[in-house]
Amino acid sequence: MSPVPGIVNGPERAGPVVWTGIVAATCLLLLVVQQLLWLFLPFIFGTVLYYVLLGPMQRMVRSGFGRNAAAVWVCTLFFTLAALALALALSWSDGPEEDSWEATIGLYLDGGVAFVRTSLAMLEARFPILAEMRLTSTVDMAFTTYTNDFAQNHLGDIVVGVMTWVPSLLLAPFLTFFLLRDGVRFKKFLARAVPNAYFERALYLLHEVDQTARRYFEGLLKLTVLDTLVLALGLWVIGVSSPLLLGLISAVLAWVPFVGSIAGCVLVVIVASTDAPGNPLMAYGAIGVFVLVRLLDDFLFMPLTLGRSLHIHPLVTVLMIFIGGMLAGVVGLMLVLPLLGVVMVIGETLGTLVTNPRLRARHRYARALRTRQASVDLDIARERRGAPTPNGALNAASSASSGATAED
Amino acid sequence: MIFRFLKPPRMSPRLHRLKSSSLFSALTPLELKIVDGLLHERRYLKDEIVFDEGEEGQALYLLMSGRMRISRLHEGVTQVVAELEPGGFFGDLALLDNSPRNAQARALEPCEVAVFFRADFLGLMDTDAVLGYKISLALARHIGLRLREWMGTGRPQLEAL
Repeated sequence: MSPVPGIVNGPERAGPVVWTGIVAATCLLLLVVQQLLWLFLPFIFGTVLYYVLLGPMQRMVRSGFGRNAAAVWVCTLFFTLAALALALALSWSDGPEEDSWEATIGLYLDGGVAFVRTSLAMLEARFPILAEMRLTSTVDMAFTTYTNDFAQNHLGDIVVGVMTWVPSLLLAPFLTFFLLRDGVRFKKFLARAVPNAYFERALYLLHEVDQTARRYFEGLLKLTVLDTLVLALGLWVIGVSSPLLLGLISAVLAWVPFVGSIAGCVLVVIVASTDAPGNPLMAYGAIGVFVLVRLLDDFLFMPLTLGRSLHIHPLVTVLMIFIGGMLAGVVGLMLVLPLLGVVMVIGETLGTLVTNPRLRARHRYARALRTRQASVDLDIARERRGAPTPNGALNAASSASSGATAED
Repeated sequence: MIFRFLKPPRMSPRLHRLKSSSLFSALTPLELKIVDGLLHERRYLKDEIVFDEGEEGQALYLLMSGRMRISRLHEGVTQVVAELEPGGFFGDLALLDNSPRNAQARALEPCEVAVFFRADFLGLMDTDAVLGYKISLALARHIGLRLREWMGTGRPQLEAL
């Protein structure tokens, strides 16, 4: 006798209780992530690289390579090419340079400060009220105070911070390699832990989590490539140096919502104003290009790439970005959406599994079968009654033989 | 050493068992090894339910050992559609779409099954067209055979698999 189909499949949509759990779990995870950022960040980079390299590796496996050999080859090739590209980008620069990297950074910072001063002077000339407010001297004083103390107070911390992060980030290639080599095995290992009754749904859940993360990270990479190309084209047209490198850095910074975009814009303006110190129009042009690319990004590229990846309501997205920023700062801003996407899939599926009466009944039945099978010759009630058990003859023979041995 | 990947992999007893199923009989040893990497192992006790009639299907099941009964509810009466032996497979329509199962599968004795998840099959079709085509052709032949049997013998329950 089969059950009614409605009972078999259970409720399809997650209710408010499940959604409250999803939001709470996401917030909790953000707090954990903030504490374990040294581990989580390499894990994120490792996962992104895993999804990038999975396709080539699968092709190698299908052409006859073992998983281990294919993972080694793909990782070696990728990291060699990435190191070469980085070395090329660092050595190829047509902008102004000093003898040391400290002096070059100083040169660019001075260029940025000079641009701010020129812009403020122009504003004061145009709007006398700003001159009366002594805007230039106020900002100038703030800049001087900050830059005078910068080397003593902040540069050391920044360098130490970077040096602390380098070993942690070196974990990323290792994680990528092991995810590529053992990812399938790990998935099977997880699936093996699931009881038979929930097995198909659990497989589907694992697949959906994988697909959500994959869609998000692939979307993010596509968005980065599009942003880089369009920004590089715009900067190249107005004559800013190293447009491709600047475009790439700004596009990667844009992974952090709001804050990253502002940081990218400041970087581009600093470079543009240093390239042409006497021509503030170039820096204004760079700002124009940046704003244009942001608009294209928000209204065209993002809906085409990331927007389709997570299927989250826009209102929930905006609210969660604010909550993420509040709970875990910049890290929260950056990671709240992928975390929400994954927790949403897990929460919705677990919600339907736990509330499905038929699956729960089947699971109870399977457990009862296993218990019965495990205790087939352990009928304690029968033993107490003195009735023969299935292994009673064996036990009697064994006790007789031990008795005989004792008599001997 | 370098060209080791050109050598066909050795056929383990498990690969031989997979090859004996009509679904994978056309696959080469390398292709069998790739498919085997995607299969999940499950064990069921006597009387345990594998899936219910009406449940959303996500995977195909290949019987490696034991016997399985496929039954369905017809006008309030449970009809036994088939009893499968090792090498047989069931739930094959779930590889094509996620429509509800047409029958219930229950173990007649302790069973070991290999589970082929639909998303893995579709992924295989995307990335390895030849392998996907071979499995699809075997699946189409199997469904065609069932259709012919149904038309020839007038057994309405055979479409339930």
